[in-house]
Formats: sequence, structure tokens, C-alpha cells
Amino acid sequence: MGSFSGRHIIDTADLATEEILHLVEIANQLQDMGRDKARHVAAGKVLATLFWEPSTRTRLSFESAMFRLGGHVLGFSEAASTSVAKGETLADTIQTVALYSDIIAMRHPLEGSAFAASTYSRIPVINGGDGAHLHPTQTLGDTYTLLKEKGRLEGLRIGFLGDLLFGRTVHTFARLLARFGAEMQFFAPEGLNIPEYVRDSLESAGANFKEREWRLESIEDLDVLYVTRLQKERFFSEEEYLRRKNSYIINKEALSKAKPDILILHPLPRNEEISVDVDPLPNAGYFRQAEYGLQMRMALIAACLGVVA
Amino acid sequence: MMRIERITNGIVLDHIKAGVGIEILKLFPTELLRTKIDYASYVDSPSMHVKDIIKIENVDVNPATLLKLALLSPSITISIIRNGHVQSKMTPEIPPLVEGVLTCTNPKCITLLESYLSSRFHVSWNADGRIRKQCAYCEHIIR
Ligand SMILES: [Zn+2]
Repeated sequence: MGSFSGRHIIDTADLATEEILHLVEIANQLQDMGRDKARHVAAGKVLATLFWEPSTRTRLSFESAMFRLGGHVLGFSEAASTSVAKGETLADTIQTVALYSDIIAMRHPLEGSAFAASTYSRIPVINGGDGAHLHPTQTLGDTYTLLKEKGRLEGLRIGFLGDLLFGRTVHTFARLLARFGAEMQFFAPEGLNIPEYVRDSLESAGANFKEREWRLESIEDLDVLYVTRLQKERFFSEEEYLRRKNSYIINKEALSKAKPDILILHPLPRNEEISVDVDPLPNAGYFRQAEYGLQMRMALIAACLGVVA
Repeated sequence: MMRIERITNGIVLDHIKAGVGIEILKLFPTELLRTKIDYASYVDSPSMHVKDIIKIENVDVNPATLLKLALLSPSITISIIRNGHVQSKMTPEIPPLVEGVLTCTNPKCITLLESYLSSRFHVSWNADGRIRKQCAYCEHIIR
């Protein structure tokens, strides 16, 4: 297993299984340390958050992670206000920012942008989302969530519900879960099923997965239900959306058919897919998921900076 | 079947995947193609069932073009003809990582906007023997 110090985090596929478990270990260590001690871990270090595309939630999570490690943060939250708007290339932005900081977390609307940036960066680049392509920190945070909440991944029966065609969080997560032997069921409205290349890679990895039509009783044998955002504009037609929308809403009543300890996750922000009446239930894992995501980002920053072993 | 004439100096591109010949011709600058060209498509072939053949007079191929030819049709054989004789015959090797030769067709790929980036493709083979060219940036598979 290689050291994380100085490494880029572009794709979870680049990480060996034991490396992922090592990151989980680091995340645990940082939490066990307590807030006061953790605040010295990255003291004096600078994180640059470069967001060519706005994503408040992901950016705040990275920034909070760095503050909790005692480091500093600089960056931009949209391309319009920066030299990028004046036509600066990605390569020039990265090479300049690498002089001002020790680690970069970036989000960019184009696919492959984080990999391109890493080829020009002498400091670690963490991919915070490159278009519809990859979102490894979300995937690692979700993995950490399952391990903390369920204690295992192997044999866990996980349902994915919603737009599975454009939902990139599902694609990378499913490919990673396949490695750990989880059992997956995909429930999507017509035309929003997982893309061909994801199906192919799951099949060639020998993943245990099924594509099913969502019914009220589908929830019965699931250990985890991962809900994604349903956007009206993704539907075949407005009528189709209105007709199907309600059947994809998870509320307290829908949960009455589920296992008592079913865990409900959602990458957030949500629309109407999960009713607020679920929020007070212990099954509502989505806010804890955001917290585990933050803790995993702390682990990634610390590991890539080389300030933890 | 069209009769393919002999050439004295130039190249013979044989065992081209049927129908791909037209793409192969596009790899040569138009000014080089103002010469005698024989182009036969869907010719019977014992080894390939059908194939395309192209003969071009008075042109040469450089190593970069050789690689491009092979990426379009891995079965291609290239013969260099000098004074009516085959001077050399080759089947280009395709490396597992091809840089700067191909172009990604994913409109959302970073290499299209940031054009100074050198394209990179991972080349592998599908179970059915077809070539698979995957962009190292966006993972898009090009035809
Ligand atoms: Zn590409």
C-alpha cells in the first residue's frame, strides 16, 4: 500500500481496497482525537477550494474539514469572478494556485478536468466533482457512512432509488460497493436506469445487482435505501413526472413496510423524494451522512498532506 | 470486384476493415492525394471475409500516420512500393497508451475546451477482438 502523502484523489478506482479501509481508519483516528487535538493536525497548511461550478454543499464541507484540522482556506466559488473568466487556462490556474497553497480541492463542469489538473499540479488535487463523471469524496464519505452505521459492506442489501442515469454519485458508489461484496438493487423510472457503461463495468466485476421496478413492497428486504434527487427536467414528459413522482416519495408510511433498522441515505440537497416526516426517525441517515462526508474529507486532506500516518 | 492496378512507387494499404477505407483516406493531407489512387471497398478476402484495399502513388507514411492507420483498422498491413517492388511490409504495433493522436468525441470532455492538453487514450481489446479506445481524462470510449 502506497502512502497517501502527495497523492491526488481523482477516482476511487485508483484506490486499492486496503487503502480505502486505511482512509476509514484515519477518519476514525481524527474523530477519536477530539476537536482540540485535531485542530493541530494541519496547522499552518493552506487548502485551495477551486470551484469553477458552484456547489455550496461540497465546498463548505471541504472548507469545514480544513478548518477543523486547523488549516486555512482560500479559493473561488464560481468561475465568473476569477481570472478564468478572463480566459486563463486550467493549467495556468493550477500552477499558480499550487504556489499559494498546499492542497487543492476542485470542482469543474467538464469531465476529466480533475485528472487534467493533476497532471499540472505539484501539490495534491482532490476531485470534488468533474461534470457528470466522478465524485470520489462523496463515494468515500458514503462508504464511511455505511461502515459506521451498519458495521459492514459485505452482504448488505442496498437499494438505489431515483434518477440513476444522471446520478453520478450512484455510479462510482456502486462500482466501489461491488468490490466489497454488497448486494445492490436499482430502482429507476423508465429511461433513467443506470447507463450502459456502468452496467457493463458492474457485470465484468461480477457484482451482485438487479434492476427492478419500484413497488411499495420493494422496500421490505432492504438494509439500506439510497435515494437520489428526481429532477422534473430529466423525465420523458411533464405528465410522466407528475404520474410517477408520488410513487418515488419516501415517507413515514412507506417505511412502515421496511425492516425496523433500514437506513435511508441521500446525497443532498433533496427535493421532495424524502418527506420531512422521515427526518425525526432514527432511520433518517442523510444528515449523519453529510457529517461522515465531512469526516472523510478531513481524513483525505490530512492523508494527502502527509500530516497523518 | 474492381480491378486494382499495380503501382510503381507508393503505398498499398491492405486488410483494411471493410468500409473503413474512406476514413483511412481522410488521414492523408488532400494535397498528397492529388495522385493516382485505387480504392476498392468490400473486396472478398479469405482471411477477413470482406476488406478494403487502397493504393496511393507517390506518397510515404510517417510513424504517426502508421499509428493512426492501425487505430482505425488494427488488421491493416502497409506495403511500401519502390520501383515496382515491395520494399517493406508492416503491421503497426499499437501501444496501450496513445498520446496526442486521437481526439475525444465527448462534448463534455476537458480536452476539447483546454486544447493545449495532449489527448491520451487507453487502448485495449474487447472479448470479441474489437479495439477499445478510452479517453484517459473522461473515460469516454470513442468509436
Ligand atoms: Zn475525453
